[in-house]
Amino acid sequence: MFPLRRPPFHPTDRGVGHNVGYQSKVRVIDRYKVIGFISSGTYGRVYKAVGRHGQPGEFAIKKFKPDKEGEQIQYTGISQSAVREMALCSELSHVNVIKLVEIILEDKCIFMVFEYAEHDLLQIIHHHTQPARHPIPPATVKSIMFQLLNGCQYLHSNWVLHRDLKPANIMVTSAGEVRIGDLGLARLFNKPLHSLFSGDKVVVTIWYRAPELLLGSRHYTPAIDMWAIGCIFAELLSLRPIFKGEEAKMDSKKTVPFQRNQMQKIVEIMGLPSKNTWPNLVSMPEYSQLSTLSLSSHNKNGSSLEKWYYSTINSHSGTSVPTSNASLGAEGYKLLAALLEYDPEKRLTAQAALQHPFFSTGDKVSNNCFEGMKTEYPHRRVSQDDNDIRTSSLPGTKRSGLPDDSRPTKRIKE
Amino acid sequence: MAASYWESSQRRFWTFSREQLDNIRQKLEEEDQNLVQSYPLPELRHLSFYFNQQIARLGKRLGVRQQAMATAQLYLRRFYTKVEIRRTNPYLVIATAVYLACKMEECPHHIRLVVSEGRTLWPGNFFSSDTSKLGECEFFLISEMSSQMIVHHPYRTLTSLQGNFSLTQEESALAWSIINDHYMTDLPLLYAPHIIAVMAILLALVLRPNTTGIQSASNSASNIATAAQAALNSASQPRPGTGDRQSGPRTKVQKLANWLAESNIDIEGIVNCTQEMISFYEFQEQYNEKHTREQINRFVKARGLDK
Repeated sequence: MFPLRRPPFHPTDRGVGHNVGYQSKVRVIDRYKVIGFISSGTYGRVYKAVGRHGQPGEFAIKKFKPDKEGEQIQYTGISQSAVREMALCSELSHVNVIKLVEIILEDKCIFMVFEYAEHDLLQIIHHHTQPARHPIPPATVKSIMFQLLNGCQYLHSNWVLHRDLKPANIMVTSAGEVRIGDLGLARLFNKPLHSLFSGDKVVVTIWYRAPELLLGSRHYTPAIDMWAIGCIFAELLSLRPIFKGEEAKMDSKKTVPFQRNQMQKIVEIMGLPSKNTWPNLVSMPEYSQLSTLSLSSHNKNGSSLEKWYYSTINSHSGTSVPTSNASLGAEGYKLLAALLEYDPEKRLTAQAALQHPFFSTGDKVSNNCFEGMKTEYPHRRVSQDDNDIRTSSLPGTKRSGLPDDSRPTKRIKE
Repeated sequence: MAASYWESSQRRFWTFSREQLDNIRQKLEEEDQNLVQSYPLPELRHLSFYFNQQIARLGKRLGVRQQAMATAQLYLRRFYTKVEIRRTNPYLVIATAVYLACKMEECPHHIRLVVSEGRTLWPGNFFSSDTSKLGECEFFLISEMSSQMIVHHPYRTLTSLQGNFSLTQEESALAWSIINDHYMTDLPLLYAPHIIAVMAILLALVLRPNTTGIQSASNSASNIATAAQAALNSASQPRPGTGDRQSGPRTKVQKLANWLAESNIDIEGIVNCTQEMISFYEFQEQYNEKHTREQINRFVKARGLDK
């Protein structure tokens, strides 16, 4: 269909063009040497690679799973989330957002080549629970938070909602620079033709999901990312998710259930939201559900976040590690409380959070979150099981999880 | 990236000077001289007009909003700065641009729906019912655009400025339709969206919308040119504090002129845009759809690009 641009047209080539088809100008395996497999998800797989032509550094290549019809891989149209991620990553450029190197469209597959980041927050948090729990040093927490907020502020000022902030999606380079990664759910919020709700109904891993989403809000804002950042902050301090609820699965009719257990977890620490402090609360679709949550006696009188915070930062680990997060002090609590504010309109913005006294009191915030650390975190595990980036079959990656929003079942008219 | 047009891929990679654009196109034709000679095509603005009509028709069938169609038009125009038209099946590229633009503008349509509407719109086997063709073309389109799919449109500036200049509903609507029309020209590859928006407001004020709309206004293109030019001239010699308190188009033009004089906006750019737009409206009268379609269909069939 699409003849190659060269060799030049020859009078006899008339009509044969359609046999050639689309061909990429560059080939992944010509440009990169895959050195191992990192992870897989519903979207496809991620490989670690190095350049073959002296490109400096290492790379993470995200290969989107091609669609199959029977055994034959077919062009079936790129999913909307892949299109978003490709477009956003091509546009964004910030020190705290993962850097896209190039996108190669080849053999019906999409390869997004990113700079490689050695660590991520999930892995760092996990490391601090092994062999016994020992807190992440306060300077590291502070630096991570500042860089994370800085990246988020950049996204929000560019009208990008990330929508899936969680420790696994926050990368950290070996130089201690935080990079917000995985923009697969991100989207622009400046010009939604449909309400942001109608596109994809389930957003954000449940533990990091903002209360307004749990209560069925259809109009969401950058504040949902700020709630997730509050949850991540708490997790950096306590080394476990602060609101670790169980997800209620969608029923067969694909109606989104009220996430009672998750909301319960939030209420246990934050107390019940009230219309005095959150005026729009009563207009939330699931408002009536709130009264059905069971309340233990200690959170009847509002939030116990402060108690949670101080017992967390003052807790000494079982080992003799002397570091504690006590030095994060009262400003740490104020920042946490302002991020975990129920009312999305009152919740701290990324811009305001960067100005928070938490970052201006005490030691200067470093751009290297590992500064002053003696230990080095273990490197990302790279397996050798699958080094062939070109294999089209992807065992163990069943299509599941988020509904593919590029396939609306019903035609929606404006 | 409305907050940062200045850092956008649109400004950095997809905005050209007139000379650059002419060179790019000339080079494309030179690379395919035989092809170009074997299949003469109408001049580019006829093609643009035809393509735009096709996008609009397909968009209408799909119920696509104007902004997504505008995005599709820009995709098409970008693509054809990279690929010689005669090497493609324009119908397939058009459908693909619409399909992709709808995803980017958050109003997605299923690939099968786009293909089936295309089949109805373009009978005579110019457009394959095979969805994988469109899927393949999507790879081609994205690849040629270097995945730079986020587009800045002038509509946003228009919306934010209409209050400043107390535009009436009719004036806003006219400015809006001038913006719609500018996608049929090279202007979106030449100027920043805010320049286009100001040009559209200026023209709308000068054209003085009435119930007959822009079609009839375009009949007196030279009058418009004169009026627009006069307004812009006065922007270089602002007369602040003009006493009269009327809110008619005349004072609005003056207000716009004063505002421009005080801003850092590229007035020369606006002048050029205005002229380009006016000559577009003049040209529109000579456009011959049948002739354009025949010439396109000829090379599509002869080269087997419909297969």
